[in-house]
Amino acid sequence: MATINLSVRRIILPVLVLLLCVSAARPLAGQRRGSSAADAIRIPFETFKLPNGLTAILSTDKSTPTVAVNIWYHVGSKNEIPGRTGFAHLFEHVMFTGSGHVPYGLHDKLTEGVGGSNNGSTTNDRTNYFEMVPANYLESALWLESDRMGFLLDKLDIAKLNAQRDIVKNERRQSIDNQPYGRVSEIFSEAMYPKAHPYSWPVVGYMEDLSAASENDVKDFFRLYYAPNNAVLAIVGDFDPAQAKGWVAKYFGDIPQGKPVQRPAVAPVKLEAEKRLVYEDRVQIPRLYIQWPAVGVKHDDGYALEVLGAILSGPRTARLTKALVYDTQAAANVSARQRSSEDVGEFQITVTPRPGHTLTDLEASVDDILQRFIREGSTAEDVQKATSGAELAFLRGLESNLGKANQLIDGAVFHGDAHYFRTHYQKLLSVTAADVKRVAGAYLTKGRVVLSVVPMGKRDQASKPAESQPVGERRSNVPGGRS
Amino acid sequence: MNTHVRLARFLYAIALCATTVLAVPQAQQPLDRTKVPPPGKPPELHVPAWTKAVVHNGATLIVSERHDLPLVSFSITFLGGANQFETAGPRGLAAMTSSMLNEGTTTKTGDQLSDALQSLGTNITANIGGEEGSIGFVSTKSKFDATLAILADMMMNPVFPPDALERLRARTLVMLTQSKDQPNTIGATVFAKVLYGAEHPYGQRATEASVKAITRDDVVALHKAYYQPGRAIITVVGDVNSAAVKGTIERVFAAWPKAGEKPSFNYPKLPERRPTTIYLVDKPKAAQSVFNIGLPGPPRNTPDYFALQVLNHILGGQFQSRLNYNIREVHGYSYGVNSSFAYGRGPGAFRTGGAIMSAKTDAALSEFMKELRGIVRDRPVTDEELQTAKDALIQGLPRSFASVSAIGNAITNLTVQGLPDDYYQGYAKAVSAVTKEDLLRVAKTYIDLDHLAIVIVGDRASIEGPLKATGIAPILILDLEANPVSSSSNPGNKPGN
Repeated sequence: MATINLSVRRIILPVLVLLLCVSAARPLAGQRRGSSAADAIRIPFETFKLPNGLTAILSTDKSTPTVAVNIWYHVGSKNEIPGRTGFAHLFEHVMFTGSGHVPYGLHDKLTEGVGGSNNGSTTNDRTNYFEMVPANYLESALWLESDRMGFLLDKLDIAKLNAQRDIVKNERRQSIDNQPYGRVSEIFSEAMYPKAHPYSWPVVGYMEDLSAASENDVKDFFRLYYAPNNAVLAIVGDFDPAQAKGWVAKYFGDIPQGKPVQRPAVAPVKLEAEKRLVYEDRVQIPRLYIQWPAVGVKHDDGYALEVLGAILSGPRTARLTKALVYDTQAAANVSARQRSSEDVGEFQITVTPRPGHTLTDLEASVDDILQRFIREGSTAEDVQKATSGAELAFLRGLESNLGKANQLIDGAVFHGDAHYFRTHYQKLLSVTAADVKRVAGAYLTKGRVVLSVVPMGKRDQASKPAESQPVGERRSNVPGGRS
Repeated sequence: MNTHVRLARFLYAIALCATTVLAVPQAQQPLDRTKVPPPGKPPELHVPAWTKAVVHNGATLIVSERHDLPLVSFSITFLGGANQFETAGPRGLAAMTSSMLNEGTTTKTGDQLSDALQSLGTNITANIGGEEGSIGFVSTKSKFDATLAILADMMMNPVFPPDALERLRARTLVMLTQSKDQPNTIGATVFAKVLYGAEHPYGQRATEASVKAITRDDVVALHKAYYQPGRAIITVVGDVNSAAVKGTIERVFAAWPKAGEKPSFNYPKLPERRPTTIYLVDKPKAAQSVFNIGLPGPPRNTPDYFALQVLNHILGGQFQSRLNYNIREVHGYSYGVNSSFAYGRGPGAFRTGGAIMSAKTDAALSEFMKELRGIVRDRPVTDEELQTAKDALIQGLPRSFASVSAIGNAITNLTVQGLPDDYYQGYAKAVSAVTKEDLLRVAKTYIDLDHLAIVIVGDRASIEGPLKATGIAPILILDLEANPVSSSSNPGNKPGN
C-alpha cells in the first residue's frame, strides 16, 4: 500500500493503470456520506483454498469481456537483509524471464500480444503480478502464472539475473537518481528508522547491493517466499466460476506447499527528538518536508490520520492550503498525507515555497497552524467534507477488474479477510472530529524529521540552516536514524 | 502423498471455516505443462450504443446509457484549443483561463464552489490543450444534477478575480522553474522546438515571459471566444436515461446562447527539413541521457493511420517491441524505451526515445538507429510480427469501453477527430487489411532517416566525445530553450578539437 515506494517492472502504459488502481484501492483522501452509503460498498466474490495453501478469490463482472488475474506474494523489501537491499524487486524482474515450460517472451505474447497487458510491482510489504487479458485467454494466463510459481528455477541462470540487474539499476537511475527531489523517500527511510530496521531502506535498493545479489540468493528467496501458502490469487472479470475453479486446481494444485514464512519482527518507531537534515539536489526551487512516524494498516488511528491529511491539504479551504497558498501566498503548493504500510506508517507534509519566502518561515507557519489545530481541532462538518468522496472513489474502483482484485487481495493478505474493504470504508466514515484532534496531538509531536532540499551549494536556504545536518549523495554519509 | 493431501485439506477445513477448500482432481496422469492452453471462443465485440442530438444552442449532445454501477461521466469538449485560440495572446493564456473557472462566479466565491464540490464528493476538472479543451466530472448518480449545476455556473458565469490571476501566475512561474530541472520536460520542449521552429504552434510553449504577459482582459476575452456551444460536444455516459438527460441539459444550459463555430485547423508551413543532427542539451552529472528522436509526422486523418498503428506497435508500441526488446531486454541500457505517432489535426511528431544510462549513450544511439534502419529497410516486418500486432490491436479494443469515462472519451474522440460513427465497428476490418507492403511503404514515408532530429539531454562532459565517435551525425549544442550555445562557452569545441 505504500504507493510512493512502489517499484514496477516497466514504465510503459500499464504502469499508469496499475498506479491508478492501487490508489483507487485506498479510499483516497477520505470524504463522508450518510450511513446508507455502505449499501453501495459491495464486491460480490467467493474464496477458496487449495490443499497446498493457495488462497484464491473469484469475482465475476461481465460488463467488459476481459479478465484480470492478480497474484500477491506476501514478501517485499522488508524481508530483505542489509547488504542485499532491492532484492525482492530485482527478483520480481527475474519472474518475467521465463520459467520451466514458458520460454522468454511467451508471457508477453499471451498477454500484450493478444490485446492485454501484464506487469508486476513490489512494495515494502508485498510483491504482485498480474495479467489483464481478453476473457478467452484466462486459462493461458493461469498457466503462465502457475508455471513461474512452480518452475521458475528450472530455467534460471546467472545471465538472466545479470540482465535484470542492469535494467533495475536503470530503473533506479530513472526514478531516483535522475529525478529532482528523487532521493527524498530514501533519505526519510534512513532517517526515520534505525539501522537494519526492515523499513529503513528503499524498495528499489542501493546500487552496490544490486551488484552483490547472487544466483543462490535468487534460489533461496524463491524457495522461501514463492510458495502457494504465501500467495493470494484473484480472478476478476468475465469468466465462468466453475471453469475457473477447475483451472486453478489444475494449474496450481500440484505445486508443493512451502515452509511456513517467518515475518520479520518490526519494532514500532518513536523519535525522541527532532532530526533536521539538509540535502543539496540539482534543483532551483527548495522544498521543505516534515515527516512523523505514524501507524500501519492494522492500527485504527490510520483512518483519523487519513482524514487529518484531507482536512489539512487538498481543497482550497483545507487548513494548510488556505493559509499558505491562498492567504499568505508564501507557498506554491502544500500537501499533507498519511501513508500506511503493513507494519508502520508515516505522516508527511511537503511545502514548495514561492520566491521570496524561506523554508524557515514556512516551517514556522506550518507549526503555528498545526499547534492551533491540535488545540482547537476541527468541526464535524470538516470531517464530513473530508470523507464525502469515499463512496465515489470506491465505485470508480469497481470499474477496474485489476482495482477490484487489488482491494480483495489487500484485505486477504494484510487483514486475513478479503471483505476488509467494507470494514475499511466503515471505519473511515466513523472517524469523528474528536478522533482527528486526538491523532493530531498524539502523532504530530516533536519527534519528527525535517528535511530541506536545497539547490547545490545553497545550504543557507534550508530551514534553520545552522541546526540542519547535511545529508550526502551516498548513503554511507547519511547521518541520523542509525542510533 | 494422497494421505498428506487429504490431511492437509482436513486441517485447512478446520482452520478456515469460512473458506471453501477446493478438492484437487486426483491426477491420474500428471499435467502436461508443455502444452499452451488454447484460447476459448473470442468474445463478441460490444461497442456501447449512444444517441446523438443537437441542443437548442447548437451544441452536440451524446448520451450512452450504462447501468451496472450508479455512476455518471459528464464532459463538454470544445473543438480547437490553445493552438487556435491563443494565437493573438501570450502562450499559456488558454490553460490559465481554464484553471480560473473555479475561482468564483457571479454568485459564488471560489471557496464556496470548492466546499460545495467537496460535499458532493466530486471534482470538476477543466483544461484546454493544443487542439481541444474540456470541462467535466464523474459523479455518483445521486449527485449528478447538483454537480452539473455547479459546472454550468463555472463555465457560464466566472468572474476571474484579479488576485486569483496573480496567485495562479506565481504558481505557474514556480512550476516553469521546476520544469527546467526535469530532464524529461527539457527533452520534450527542446524536441518540439527543433522539429517545429518558433513560428509553428507545435513548437511553442508557455514561457516565463509569456505567463508574465497574461492580463485579466486576455483571460476574459479568451473565455468569451472559446466556451461557445457551436463547437461543443456534451457527452453523458452512465446510469442515466437518454430522454431525461436531454431535458436536464436543455434546462441547465438554457442561458447559454447560440454562438461560436467549429474552428479551422490551419497551421503554418513546417520549417525546412534539416539533415539528421544530434542536438545535445547539457545536464551536468546526469545519471541518464534522455533521448527524443524523430520528425514531424502525419495528421490523424491520414489514410495511412492503421498501417502506422501496426507499424508503431511492432517498432516501439509494446513491451516486446523491437526497440524495447533490443535496448532494454537485450542490452540493459534502459528501464524502457518506446515510440509513438502524435497525430492530431496537424503534423504531430513521430518520436522514439527513453532514458539511457549515461555510459551507454553512444551505444544506445547506435541501437536506436539500427532499429529505425531495420524497420525502414534492413529488416522488414515478419508475418508473425504482423499477426501479433494485429491481434493485439483488435483484441485490445474492448479496453476502450471499460469505464464510464473511457466510454465518454472513446465516443467523443470520434467527433473531435472527424471520424465516422461506425469507426469502432469497422476497426478490426481496417487493422486486418494492413499488409507487410503497407508497413514498408509507410515506414519509408514517415521515418525519414536522413532528416531526424536526435535530441539528447545528458551529461555533456561524458557523452559528447563518445557520441561524436559514433559518426552518426554532427552534434549541435543547445540550451534549455533550444538556442545554439556559442562555441566560446563550449568546452567541447576548443580550437583544434
